[in-house]
Amino acid sequence: MEQFEQLLTCAICLDRYRNPKLLPCQHSFCMEPCLEGLVDYVRRQVKCPECRAEHRIPYQGVQGFPTNVTLQRFLELHIEITGELPDPTSGQVMERCNVCSEKAYCSFCYHCDKKICDECKGAHMEILRREISRINNQIRRGIHRLQDSLSLVEKNTQNIQTNCLSVGEEVEEIYRRLTKALKDRTEYLRGEIERYLGTELRTLTSLKENLEQEISNILSNCDLADKHMNENVDIWDDCELMDAKEIFLKTIEFIRNFEYENTDYSRRIRLILAHDPNQLVLHVAGYGDLNIANSNNPFSQGTSTGLLQPPGPGLMRSKSDHRLAFRNQDQNYERGYGDQESEPVLGGRKFGERATQKGHGDRYGYRGGEYGGDDYDHEGSRSARSKYSSRFRRRNTMADDESDNETRGVRFHDQQQKTQERERPLDTEDVTKGPLSGITRLADSPRVMKKLQENPTGKKKEKEPAAQPPKQPQVVPKRPPPPTTRQVSEEDEISRIKKQNKGATTSTETATTETRPATERATVEERHPVQRKTPAPEAQSSAEDSEESSNQQQQQRKSTVTPAKTPPTATRRPSDGAHKKAARSASSDSSSSAESSSSSAVRSTGAPFTTEEVKQKYLSRSEAPGAQTKSFQSRFLNKPTPAASVQSKREEEESETSSEEETESEEESDEPSSKKSDEKMAKSDIGPLLARSAHARDSGTDFSRKTEQSPINRSKYSTNEEPSSRYGSRRRPNSASTEEEPPRYGYTSRFLNKSKSSAALAPEDDDYTTPRYDPEDSKYPSGRSKYMALKERRQRLARSRSSQQFGADDDDNNDDSSVTTPISPTTSNPSAYLASRGYGTSQSAHDLSRSRSTHALKSKDNSPERSSAAEKDGTALSSWARYLKNKYGSRSGAKDKDPTSTSGASAGTQGSSSSSSAAARRLSLGLPLRSSTELASSDDDQKNMLGSPTTPTAATAAGIAAAAAGTSPRSQYLQKCQQLFQIGSRGSEAGCFTWPRGVAVGPDNSIVVADSSNHRVQVFDSRGRFLKEFGQYGSGEGEFDCLAGVAVNRIGQYIIADRYNHRIQVFDPSGRFLRSFGSQGTSDGRFNYPWGIATDALGFIYVCDKENHRIQVFQSDGTFVGKFGTMGTKEGQLEHPHYIAVSNTNRVIVSDSNNHRIQIFDVNGKVLSSFGKEGSEDGEFKFPRGVAVDDQGYICVADSGNNRIQIFHPDGTFLRALGCWGSQKGEFKGLEGVAMTPDGHILVCDRENHRIQVF
Amino acid sequence: MAALPRRIIKETQRLMQEPVPGISAVPDDSNARYFHVIVTGPEDSPFEGGLFKLELFLPEDYPMSAPKVRFITKIYHPNIDRLGRICLDILKDKWSPALQIRTVLLSIQALLSAPNPDDPLANDVAELWKVNESEAIRNAKEWTRRYAMDN
Repeated sequence: MEQFEQLLTCAICLDRYRNPKLLPCQHSFCMEPCLEGLVDYVRRQVKCPECRAEHRIPYQGVQGFPTNVTLQRFLELHIEITGELPDPTSGQVMERCNVCSEKAYCSFCYHCDKKICDECKGAHMEILRREISRINNQIRRGIHRLQDSLSLVEKNTQNIQTNCLSVGEEVEEIYRRLTKALKDRTEYLRGEIERYLGTELRTLTSLKENLEQEISNILSNCDLADKHMNENVDIWDDCELMDAKEIFLKTIEFIRNFEYENTDYSRRIRLILAHDPNQLVLHVAGYGDLNIANSNNPFSQGTSTGLLQPPGPGLMRSKSDHRLAFRNQDQNYERGYGDQESEPVLGGRKFGERATQKGHGDRYGYRGGEYGGDDYDHEGSRSARSKYSSRFRRRNTMADDESDNETRGVRFHDQQQKTQERERPLDTEDVTKGPLSGITRLADSPRVMKKLQENPTGKKKEKEPAAQPPKQPQVVPKRPPPPTTRQVSEEDEISRIKKQNKGATTSTETATTETRPATERATVEERHPVQRKTPAPEAQSSAEDSEESSNQQQQQRKSTVTPAKTPPTATRRPSDGAHKKAARSASSDSSSSAESSSSSAVRSTGAPFTTEEVKQKYLSRSEAPGAQTKSFQSRFLNKPTPAASVQSKREEEESETSSEEETESEEESDEPSSKKSDEKMAKSDIGPLLARSAHARDSGTDFSRKTEQSPINRSKYSTNEEPSSRYGSRRRPNSASTEEEPPRYGYTSRFLNKSKSSAALAPEDDDYTTPRYDPEDSKYPSGRSKYMALKERRQRLARSRSSQQFGADDDDNNDDSSVTTPISPTTSNPSAYLASRGYGTSQSAHDLSRSRSTHALKSKDNSPERSSAAEKDGTALSSWARYLKNKYGSRSGAKDKDPTSTSGASAGTQGSSSSSSAAARRLSLGLPLRSSTELASSDDDQKNMLGSPTTPTAATAAGIAAAAAGTSPRSQYLQKCQQLFQIGSRGSEAGCFTWPRGVAVGPDNSIVVADSSNHRVQVFDSRGRFLKEFGQYGSGEGEFDCLAGVAVNRIGQYIIADRYNHRIQVFDPSGRFLRSFGSQGTSDGRFNYPWGIATDALGFIYVCDKENHRIQVFQSDGTFVGKFGTMGTKEGQLEHPHYIAVSNTNRVIVSDSNNHRIQIFDVNGKVLSSFGKEGSEDGEFKFPRGVAVDDQGYICVADSGNNRIQIFHPDGTFLRALGCWGSQKGEFKGLEGVAMTPDGHILVCDRENHRIQVF
Repeated sequence: MAALPRRIIKETQRLMQEPVPGISAVPDDSNARYFHVIVTGPEDSPFEGGLFKLELFLPEDYPMSAPKVRFITKIYHPNIDRLGRICLDILKDKWSPALQIRTVLLSIQALLSAPNPDDPLANDVAELWKVNESEAIRNAKEWTRRYAMDN
């Protein structure tokens, strides 16, 4: 047997013969590689290794030698006997590996898109594995963003729920109020009618009785006279006759004079409606509308609280990756999933199947939507938006093209087959797919499951296709895939069938197993589009949902939009306001002087309805019928609770920054209606009034009763008046009157109560649809009393207003208060402040019965109430406010005399001036600050706010969004004004420095300092405690000569720019020398005083080659990769670039020192943006040196000539500056490197002070 | 370094499993293409009793080109020079891929048995071998004793 085997062994490869070729000398050898290797190409001969016989090679090469068929039969026989597996490589043709150029049985490598040998493939797979694990790490690190988004989404969900709940409650409340008002009124009218009927009937009856009696009396007199006067019976004495005559004369007089006032009793009662009933019904029927704010910003989405930037392409750039990714996703929904064009992550193919051949970079694009970053996108010239969509498109088209290529390509014959076989066992269609990114859950892929099952110890990354052992074609048919889950393109299908036909001779087995799946696949193919579709709309809808919700929120915050929904603002009209005033003054009549003056002012302005007003006054004073009093009473006493609840609810809403337009319109319509209803009341009261006058004329039976009633009436009215007087005095800051709340509530509730009927007023005011206040203000002449009136109303309005208006109100209120009240509310005293605090807490506790004391109301003028709302908005606001406070602390502090405002951040928030907090609020909501017209009306603080470069840009909003997401480095930066600690002083001992230059953040936030003139690197822990040092003077390995830049890469290696040695040195995390590269020169890879240094996530090293005025990029092993920048001042040119930083979005930020600017490049050296010019204003530089960028993209620049640190938004707009020249804490002399720690600290290398300062 | 071709692996395995009598070839720990070879001097030859160390290196294109073999142990032989280089046709032009390590070593062993002074490499040795074969053989025995036996 052994001999038999030996006979089947090729003498050259010592293996079983593969495709044995028979030489003329009768010796056989494998065709490849054995015989091929024997060929003497010069002589076109082959020398038999066995007998050394030389044979001419046939024309077509060694293939031309006859195959040793006998031997082949023997081989087959041997296989049959021994049952040994067929040689996996049989039937394959050897090719040169495209990587190592060795001849081998090559298989297709998806890593490099080449046919390569197994060894190289293994190496490549190893690379892929490493890459995957690295990317996986990145994903792990980045996943928190998604998680943040998730929590945001949850928050949004909650918000929208509470929002809807509150709106629902409000609707319910309105409904109750409407029905109650209707019911009350109906009952009242009914009662009136009944009463009227009763009294009329009564009087008529008595009249009738009297008349009857008169008639009977007179008749009897007449009869008597007839009977007895003519009889001359002397029964009548003269006296009696005289009397009788007198009586009869009187009678005749009475009869003559008696006149029945017919009109009095033929008066008919009529129901006079204040409004056309139809219209009323219409108004009630449409008393409210829900305004669901539509998206006007296609980029906004729910997942990240409001990308509030205007969609300017320039600003788009500045966004951090995850936002871009989100937007990306959005667009995906909008277009991609929407029209079924876009494809999921793997380019629409299934996991592990690779029909496409990708370039290296794009593959990264494939993995993980989050990383679909700019890094690999080289089409930077387009706007970000189109870029992203196009990238998606591009991928698809690429995928298509390439799959086409492959199916048609003859060259890839083998590979194609292999590809198809690879395709077959897998499918991810039924796999959990990320609805946003389309990333599949690998663990759900049947293929992966299988893999994991087969290899239970396999690591997670083994799931990746690269990790799969190269499959051999023969193996595949043995594990046919679940056919239903297969998805192949039709072209593939056809080509496969063709191939099957072709290869039928060699692999019949394969063919049979394959045909079945093929047909099934065809059927699946048909189903496939449907399958594909299903996830898309869902995702879309979910996206829309989230988008909508966020939009809604935004909308609500902005509220400048939706003109249709804006409140009717009936009250805006001066006449209305006056009217309202009149109404109020009428009802509250003898209240405070302010009130009365206002009413007089109203009258003097010649407002309409003055007659009504008079009547009303009369009514209020005169004795009202008991029923009416009752109704009044009930209104006063019953309403307060609901009204209060409504208002409290509104306040809650507002505090949640989700105030609705509806609320607003309701409220505002309440306003006019309150007056209107009064007026209507007056009208409808005419009936009873007349009745009463009739009564008065009537005989006085009822009179006494009425007079009895009147005192009660009076007293009740007096109670009514009491709150109104308080109402007037409410503006005085210190009038503590908690007992009087209920009546006051009654007061307001009455106003609110009657409001519904007055909706008729709204139409005529339709031209006032803009919710802004300023036009209104301009319309209002500067009457003081009017301001009071306005203020009162605004206080109420403010509660339901959207934030912008709210802010406006606030300002107005501020102005108002400062104008109208002798004691300005801003000079709030502690008690008011406390009250407001209590107010805030009760608000947060959703206390419906919370009392709105005068303090509380007053606090509306003042900020605290709003601040408490702001607190609810999240830390972003408060910190923003804190920043404002820090920045404008002196001013606002001056304005705000509240002592607590200066102590503590939260107290500062609460106590900070209302305008700034309002602005902060507006900012935190991402609203633009108001236009200049409003600005003009706002106070100084406001102006300062606006005047400052921090005027919210898109980036601000973005930053706020980020801040709202809980990761608020920005606000952290904003808070920074004081040094946390500092390290070092001049010296050469450990922990001392001599001209430190570079600084970097190492693992565990350790601080790595290039102690330049001590020629060493020092490492400190995050609190500044000395950890270690390494390096000394010299030019050998591990020695430095005035090192400058220092960087720490992902794996903790120190990368040092060894300046005077013109080289870069790399040290391991323990400080041991690993390698160095570079020398002095100007060619690639050489340096001239390398200065700043940075690494990116992939470990590339970016070096500021200062005197060569360029940036050089190296691999982590020191291999030159590229360079960019030349000496010059134009865009993309550099002059003495000093420091460099790379953001996690692969934006390369270079301090172009002598050009006094910061330039931002992409990794390929294309300029993305640049900012700054020479100067010492905010955002200007003098020889900027150190740059740092945090994970949100905020850029920190050491403005060395100005001795300050400037912090910029990711888009390059100025955020803030800190520091000045000096050697005190927080002062600088000669700035060098800066660094930003992940926890938001800023490390500053203060060179001439020989220290590191940490902020 | 590319992986080892199957042939080398096979040859190595076979050398280990079925060693040729009088010949041992052990691949180096760090380089599987480098073999430490020990060949015993064939009987009835001046080299009898000697253990001759050789080094054998399989070049990259082995088996298409011959292995490089060199005596490390000094040997007095007309076809082997002072540096240990071997003049053997199969290591040169007569190489055939059908040959293997074992055949090469057997050939070398055979060469020790049958020096071929007509195709010399060490001319002085060949001269002596031609002129005074007995002295040459004595020398060879002497060298063998001196260099190939004292380990």
